[in-house]
Amino acid sequence: MAAAPTRAEALSLFRSLLRTARQFSDYNIREYTRRRAADAFRENRALGDAAAAAAVFADGKKQLEVAKRQAVVYSLYAPKAKSIMEMKLQ
Amino acid sequence: GRLSRRLLPLLLRRGSTPSISPARALSTAAVTADAPAAAAAAAAEEEAMTIKGVRISGRPLYMDMQATTPVDPRVLDAMLPFYLSRYGNPHSRTHLYGWESDAAVEEARARVASLVGADPREIFFTSGATECNNIAVKGVMRFYRDRRRHVVTTQTEHKCVLDSCRYLQQEGFEVTYLPVRPDGLVDVAQLADAIRPDTGLVSVMAVNNEIGVVQPLEEIGRICKEKGVPFHTDAAQALGKIPIDVNQMGIGLMSLSAHKIYGPKGVGALYLRRRPRIRVEPQMSGGGQERGIRSGTVPTPLVVGFGAACEIAAKEMDYDHRRASVLQQRLLDGIRGQVDDIVINGSMEHRYPGNLNLSFAYVEGESLLMGLKEVAVSSGSACTSASLEPSYVLRALGVEEDMAHTSIRFGIGRFTTEEEVDRAIELTVHQVKKLRDMSPLYEMAKAGIDLKSIQWAQH
Repeated sequence: MAAAPTRAEALSLFRSLLRTARQFSDYNIREYTRRRAADAFRENRALGDAAAAAAVFADGKKQLEVAKRQAVVYSLYAPKAKSIMEMKLQ
Repeated sequence: GRLSRRLLPLLLRRGSTPSISPARALSTAAVTADAPAAAAAAAAEEEAMTIKGVRISGRPLYMDMQATTPVDPRVLDAMLPFYLSRYGNPHSRTHLYGWESDAAVEEARARVASLVGADPREIFFTSGATECNNIAVKGVMRFYRDRRRHVVTTQTEHKCVLDSCRYLQQEGFEVTYLPVRPDGLVDVAQLADAIRPDTGLVSVMAVNNEIGVVQPLEEIGRICKEKGVPFHTDAAQALGKIPIDVNQMGIGLMSLSAHKIYGPKGVGALYLRRRPRIRVEPQMSGGGQERGIRSGTVPTPLVVGFGAACEIAAKEMDYDHRRASVLQQRLLDGIRGQVDDIVINGSMEHRYPGNLNLSFAYVEGESLLMGLKEVAVSSGSACTSASLEPSYVLRALGVEEDMAHTSIRFGIGRFTTEEEVDRAIELTVHQVKKLRDMSPLYEMAKAGIDLKSIQWAQH
């Protein structure tokens, strides 16, 4: 059984997720990754059970790996035109 | 940056070739010269594109989630290995390639089954919900054709169920198309009355694709169980969005699709109950894959994607549902706060919140949709949006033809943002107001004239 993450470890994972989220070329995926990570950390902040905290932390690390890979894939095939959400209103 | 400096001389040397190259060279030159204004102008020029004669400055915000959903990056991540080195045919029994694909397919099957409370042996992979509906409706009736000659369904089913029923009618079967109430829900008592001793199938969709209403599955399932008739539900729009339990809901057959739940297009699954066993006549002849129900090589990458989508949906259902509810309310409040004479099509109470189908009085539907080119929405189902006919689903609800013509289906999904909803509100309100300002009908209605009382000149 893995030990519960320290506060520093959890924060470091959170920051890595946010950093990776910013690398997504796709507007919706970028926003979702950031939002989902923030909500997950808010939700699990007060997780008392060590085993549950360890499981959530391990899952977060796995998600980070997926996000890192997919941010690259998305950048390889990014469409030339941006989402209108990234453009100023005329 | 570095790349453009290296490319620039190359591009300039080739600058004599027409079209794209000079523009490119110019824009990179602007970037290297570090003139932000010029770069922005060049970038804007590049971003503008013309598709089907419509000039679009950027990719529209996507709110057509009932037509299809974007693939979740976590789903794609699960699929990619099976497009690269793990390309084996899952039915190959003699080597590692086959074994690893087979294992992945079975793992995916278990994930799909688990999302609906089924046994993995009750899940059969197909090409999508349309194929499932065909197997379910035609397959059951053909298998039991000696004793069962009648099908009960509703008028608001998806085209592929209705078309399969029409096909059965041509083969001599009888079909009852139940009407729905004005809120889009089927009357359960009426459904019970429609079941005859020779009824072989009751087919009622779980969540409607156009109006998002959720039918009372549990009650229908109970009635079907009492009467001993298999209950089929098209759950393409329901899977992963509302909780489904095949046992609790008494479902005998169910059609599922991957691309409505952030999975890949081209794969779906048919749930087929084992106890009591429901049998179907296969619609595809061949190698006998999927226990003979659906011949043809199972597409491992797609199935793996479907499995991953189901696993994510199981984990994220509450979160996604809460968010869709908030955004739906935001959208409705935002539009209703600025525009009057709007009608919500379908029940609000029994509705999947990722769907908001609105009709705007006194505007012309086509103009509204064309004016909303920066919002990817549709008037109803993608299958029928090519025609100018008003939606048969809305007509079944008793919606007047003019209102059925001006419906817009807003779809909210996992990746929809607050800002997108706000932009959709802004653009919709702007367009509706603009069209109403031009509309004599709106002027007359505001002046208190009952439009129904007008005698239009014959011509």
